[in-house]
Amino acid sequence: MAREVAESCIDSVNLELVHTYCMRLHPTKPELAARRIEAIGFQVGLQLAERYTKERPRFADHLEAIKFICKDFWAEVFKKQIDNLKTNHRGVFVLQDNRFRWLTRVSLDAPTTSNGSASGESTQATSARASQAAGQYLYFPCGLIRGALTNFGVACAVSAEVSTLPACSFIVRIKV
Amino acid sequence: MQQAVGAGPGSSTRMRCLYMFNRQGVCVHYHVWLRPLNALSRQEDQKLMFGLLFSLKSFTAKMDPVGGSKGQLGAAQLQGQGCSFHSFRTNTYKLSFMETPTGMKIVLVTDQKMGDLREALKHIYSNIYVEYVVKNPLYTPEMPFKCELFNLNLDNYVKNLT
Repeated sequence: MAREVAESCIDSVNLELVHTYCMRLHPTKPELAARRIEAIGFQVGLQLAERYTKERPRFADHLEAIKFICKDFWAEVFKKQIDNLKTNHRGVFVLQDNRFRWLTRVSLDAPTTSNGSASGESTQATSARASQAAGQYLYFPCGLIRGALTNFGVACAVSAEVSTLPACSFIVRIKV
Repeated sequence: MQQAVGAGPGSSTRMRCLYMFNRQGVCVHYHVWLRPLNALSRQEDQKLMFGLLFSLKSFTAKMDPVGGSKGQLGAAQLQGQGCSFHSFRTNTYKLSFMETPTGMKIVLVTDQKMGDLREALKHIYSNIYVEYVVKNPLYTPEMPFKCELFNLNLDNYVKNLT
């Protein structure tokens, strides 16, 4: 009988993780906070990868491992698959999720528009604010991907980008 | 200074405005759909509203002919416990009120023919406020907020209220 946990617990833990590391423990050192959170994600990714590939044979090559991450792994963890996978065939993969589960509730304060002035900000300004604010919440998923891939034998570096909420993309660079 | 706020063309909204107060009495959100007459400044208006709610709640509790325990004045109550008013109606508008167990007060001002809004207020609290404000990582609790997702979902929900 599988045990269940409310999803709002995971949302709250992730939220508090970012707040604690980025604002309380290391307010002046954002890179250190990022590395710490990413390391936690790495451990979790290692263990989840073990769990989800119990009955599978080994992966033939890097592409198979990445495709597993996009389909089965993402479906287990975030209940949907990655929407778009791009590669330059030289070891760089871009995984795009058009509605990332942990960013669905992130919304910026509506900008106050005064009467008569130009209506609203340009899309560039809003996306800059969005990526700044939401980027911190993507350290953990980056670590998750890196941990899972490392356990499959693919050494890599993962970074994330937010363009328009709630879409985001993860860039995986395989080390050779 | 009078600001006339009108509803968009073709909208059939019967909402006038929405206030949300936290436990300390700070108005954390004010949303207006149609309010042609503004007699007071924004801050005075909100202070007056909070004072009114506080006084009405204590008045209804004191005047209760059948109620048992008179709880602490100002303490948040569980849904359905104690005695608290939930709406009043005048010849031009109806004001509906709900207090949550965490001390949030939600006030919705609509036109006078509106029905009972208690279920609607509960939905606004649990499915819109909690979902898009409390769970928003960028929101610090107990502060005034203006989240876009909250505004969007609120507008969509109130369009269909009767």
